[in-house]
Amino acid sequence: MVGAEVTFDVALPKVVWGWLVSTNMWAKSIATGSFLLGIYFIKKYPEQDNFFRKWLPILGIIFIGITLLVTVLDLHHMFRFWKIFLHPHFTSAVTLGAWVVSAFVIVLLVAFWSWATGNKKLLDRVMIPGFILAFFSTIYTAGIMGEATAREVWVFPAEMISMLLSAMIAGSAAYLIVDALYGQILKEEIRRELGYILFGSSGLAAAMFIGELFFAKMHSEFSYEVIKVLAFGEVAPFFWLGIVFAFIIPMTLVGIANEYRRYRYAWIASVFALIGLWLIKHAWLIAPQTLPLS
Amino acid sequence: MRLGFLVDLSRCMGCMACAVACKAENNVPLHSWRLRVKYIDQGEFPDVKRHFVPLRCNHCENAPCERICPVSALHYLPNGIVNVDHERCIGCASCMMACPYNAIYIDPITNSADKCTYCAHRIEVGLMPACVVACPTHANIFGDLDDPESEISKYLKSHRDVMVRKPELNTHPKHFYVRGSTVALDPLASERPEGFTLFTEVKFLEHIGGH
Repeated sequence: MVGAEVTFDVALPKVVWGWLVSTNMWAKSIATGSFLLGIYFIKKYPEQDNFFRKWLPILGIIFIGITLLVTVLDLHHMFRFWKIFLHPHFTSAVTLGAWVVSAFVIVLLVAFWSWATGNKKLLDRVMIPGFILAFFSTIYTAGIMGEATAREVWVFPAEMISMLLSAMIAGSAAYLIVDALYGQILKEEIRRELGYILFGSSGLAAAMFIGELFFAKMHSEFSYEVIKVLAFGEVAPFFWLGIVFAFIIPMTLVGIANEYRRYRYAWIASVFALIGLWLIKHAWLIAPQTLPLS
Repeated sequence: MRLGFLVDLSRCMGCMACAVACKAENNVPLHSWRLRVKYIDQGEFPDVKRHFVPLRCNHCENAPCERICPVSALHYLPNGIVNVDHERCIGCASCMMACPYNAIYIDPITNSADKCTYCAHRIEVGLMPACVVACPTHANIFGDLDDPESEISKYLKSHRDVMVRKPELNTHPKHFYVRGSTVALDPLASERPEGFTLFTEVKFLEHIGGH
């Protein structure tokens, strides 16, 4: 006997987590990436810390706000969100994430107040806890994906490293865009360093995705099928456009910008990087949901 | 007590009595299923075979849905059943992402996650689950896995071809199949062409996220 096919079944749910979740991960990368890099640049270049003391909380609050908004919108019972604080279940990465992000929001508000009142010491006091919270806010989604046993391609800790690299891409791209919008007020040294961070993290993230696609040992048939969906299936346009936009174009343009000191290329690279990051996160999120589980 | 389920696939004739009884007993809305029976045709005429596979929650001992639920809406009962608290559920659908057996759905009326509970409300008053009662061939065997004298324990002991779905995921399902096959139990071992086939349209539902 050869071949088997389903001839009778009920309609199965396909995409459970859609574009709202992709947007959640994308916006969170910008918020946490700009915080992590902002702290680094404040420490390294105290003579130009005003730029980062201003934009770290502004970018953080805007994009963590988007993250929280889409998270709540995606709930089927959005007005029960508070239960996550009153009835927490701490084996769940969703719970841990909600608590960590809430604490991170408090740090961002303190950072904003610090900039608004000019009280630098206030931000200095919350820098270390803020850095830790931003780090865990970045990676908790990888924990959720790791706990999503059904979707075998989302593997911890590879997903965690990928998310940290996404935060570095998003943070550096966000600062390069703000710098360009303000007529390149940053020191050239800082702009170049932001470019190198964008270049390096794009390269490493691309290596992880391409490695997964071509060289990784597929630990299950499900993972193998997901990779086929990514490369050739219904999300392939998102995936390949994401690869080009998030990695290839930014690396090329930032390379030109830093090599020839033509920094307008750096902010074009940054815009592409942010668009590409959403595309690739969306493809990665949707692909495992296109296969039947039962 | 550790309640478990066993389906003898050689006895199942795909009559759907279990699925209908489940829907009626639990008021399961249209387009949602706690228990469904999938037909899989294998081979080419005249050498063909049809598999009937009842699919429901596996009430795993290491349940990914229980672990990922942020508010403990999914929780274990002392008898091993993985139960749902509809009032507690926030509708994040994490459980749907975690369950490798596609056994959980968002109820379109309550907007909460729901699934087979082995008819916990019936068991509480000493009744069998509705699907067990409705099955005309006694293909569904239900009982206490910890009791060596229970029918399910004896059945498991006397059959060597006991299978569970996706054992490699270490979820330790308490739902067993006897006389099953890879084609019947592995969703990737068969094609799932969308469109009209036997009696109905095989398809996927559109995006069922919050909005």
